[in-house]
Amino acid sequence: MARSVVEVRNLLKRYNGFTAVDGLSFDVYEGNVFGLLGPNGAGKTSTIRIIMDIFKADSGEVRILSEPPGAARERIGYLPEERGLYRNLKVEAVLVYLARLKGMAGDMARRRAAELLERVDLTQWAGRKVKDLSRGMQQKLQFAASLVHDPALIVMDEPFQGLDPVNIELIKNMIEELREQGKTIVLSTHQLNMVEALCDRIVLINRGRSVLYGELEEIKHHYAPRTVRVRTATALESVSDIAPVERHGADLVFTLATGSTPQQLLRVLVERDVLVDAFEVASVPLEEIFIAVVKEDSSE
Amino acid sequence: MSRIWIIAQHEYQTSIRRVGFIIMTLIIPLLGLVALLVSAFYGGQATEFLKGQFGMEPQAVGVVDESGSYFTPIMDRYENQYQLFADEPAARAALLADEVTTLLIVREDYLGTGQVTVINKGSGFGAAVIEDSRSARSFFVDHLLRGEVDPALRERAAHPFAIESLTIDASGEIQGGGSLSMITTFVIPYFTGFLLIMTIFVSSGYLLQSVSEEKETRVIEVVLSSVTAQELLTGKVIGLGALGLTQILIWLLSAWGLSSGATTLMALNIPLMDRPEVLILAVVYYLLGYTLYAVLMAASGALGTTMRESQQIAGIFSMLAAAPYMVSSFLFSNPNAVLARVLSFFPLTGATMMMLRLPMAEVPTVDIIVSIIGLLLSIPVVLWAGAKVFRMGLLMYGKRASLPQVIQSLREA
Repeated sequence: MARSVVEVRNLLKRYNGFTAVDGLSFDVYEGNVFGLLGPNGAGKTSTIRIIMDIFKADSGEVRILSEPPGAARERIGYLPEERGLYRNLKVEAVLVYLARLKGMAGDMARRRAAELLERVDLTQWAGRKVKDLSRGMQQKLQFAASLVHDPALIVMDEPFQGLDPVNIELIKNMIEELREQGKTIVLSTHQLNMVEALCDRIVLINRGRSVLYGELEEIKHHYAPRTVRVRTATALESVSDIAPVERHGADLVFTLATGSTPQQLLRVLVERDVLVDAFEVASVPLEEIFIAVVKEDSSE
Repeated sequence: MSRIWIIAQHEYQTSIRRVGFIIMTLIIPLLGLVALLVSAFYGGQATEFLKGQFGMEPQAVGVVDESGSYFTPIMDRYENQYQLFADEPAARAALLADEVTTLLIVREDYLGTGQVTVINKGSGFGAAVIEDSRSARSFFVDHLLRGEVDPALRERAAHPFAIESLTIDASGEIQGGGSLSMITTFVIPYFTGFLLIMTIFVSSGYLLQSVSEEKETRVIEVVLSSVTAQELLTGKVIGLGALGLTQILIWLLSAWGLSSGATTLMALNIPLMDRPEVLILAVVYYLLGYTLYAVLMAASGALGTTMRESQQIAGIFSMLAAAPYMVSSFLFSNPNAVLARVLSFFPLTGATMMMLRLPMAEVPTVDIIVSIIGLLLSIPVVLWAGAKVFRMGLLMYGKRASLPQVIQSLREA
């Protein structure tokens, strides 16, 4: 099993009697993109701020890169939800200053800043003031700022907020590149299509507690409706004994019995010479799982 | 390089380019230049200066002596300042032609009534000037007693006193003398103290602005993911304190330039030789006072949601720091009064109060020790509490922290 880069155990955080994080536990493994999900006010930002050592937990244990929060600041990149930059500083100067705060030497910081500005298409803006940039450009600059010191772990809170589709694709590709480089990423976003495209594992938080946690594929498999959609010209009667089946237009929809797998169904169809034009195991979008789980938890 | 120094360097470099800082730094030398011209004017040097610059001749006061004896002729020593005319029409013509600035018409029954008519072009301001002028009084006394009394007595009646100012210290020893003594023992230390106090406010004001801006622009959360609140606070205090010292250095250098070094030498060397403890203690109180107010300003900056709101909170502390100035006129005659001593012992007013008292009198040693100990003890407490409030306030966007929240943040580990 991969090494745990972020270990959170029984985390508790209260503000004036309100419990923001309530006994939360999860692990983020090295080289993974980990989705930290939840509705507004679920406790995501509080959890992130505790990980980043901006807030102190009331109780529980947090280890970041095998150290207590704050001890490994220089190896963590952070893109906060509440973001902003020094508006009157020049674009390159902002990156260099933030890199130096993370312990990078001046020359190295300037070189790294230039590389990242090129990667996010802002090279021509390097000498301009931040306030001259558009909102989307500032967003990309902020993204670059979280990577400027070449961190091992990057925590991103809503990295796609305010971006157009082209820049969303750019950031998505950069996150995939980071994963290929072995970086670990904690991604908090409401754009669940991005979670499905990028995340290996997720934790869904509601009212400060974990309500769904694990491998994304396993979760999706668990919540899948156990149906298989088959497109065939073969008569319905020849396969009706395999599993309950309904015709939906040109397709047959099989509902698998407990213990049966799609592979078993496909094997039987092949054995019976059913001409299969299409075979699709039905899945459920993460968004539907999110809504169902949160609603169920909130109604308790 | 430690993160504290990187922050200090960043704050210094960013703030030194601010328009407000540049204007504030330049305005003091400009005011000095104006003061130099004004003092030159009243010292009679401006006339020479203007004459040299514009080729102007000095203008006299016209005198018509209807009494017929007392002011005719005008004594040699007053010839440059007063010009005698045979009658009023001739004098008026000279006034209209700007040959004289003012007319003094000594009436026929002057000895019995003392009546003198003053005529000016445009306004009656000149009459008030003549009435309050020591020089005009001397002119009248000198001429009235001419030939009547012994010249030495006449001289004394015209110029009754030449003041020599001396001070006595607690041991009964007489010190200093003359206006130079006044300048070196009071005026220069007082204004040096005043400038240091002003720098405390200016520098801590920049700190308030810096924190408030970082909070308003939301950059603070990124910074706090890289450094602790204590490191950020310390870096800002050092960087902006250095900025204040830079400002003082520029002011001193400009004073050097304006006076060809004389004023600066007097400001630094004479007090050091005469009362070195005043200047040394002024620097000690500057450093302690600045640290205390800087932390309070940083915490105020963190608590407000906008710059304006932060300034309102900071105004409470500024009022306290400025309290000694409100009683400064009372202090001139009572620098060691009970009120002055109490304000010296209270840490929030101690630094500014002591900076005001020190140049005025021999401050009891116990006052100096107690006030410094008070400041030294309160700084760690303010740093501890300030850093906690600073950390809590920084991340509260859009709403101001309530008093219970501030208390809660102080209780948290």
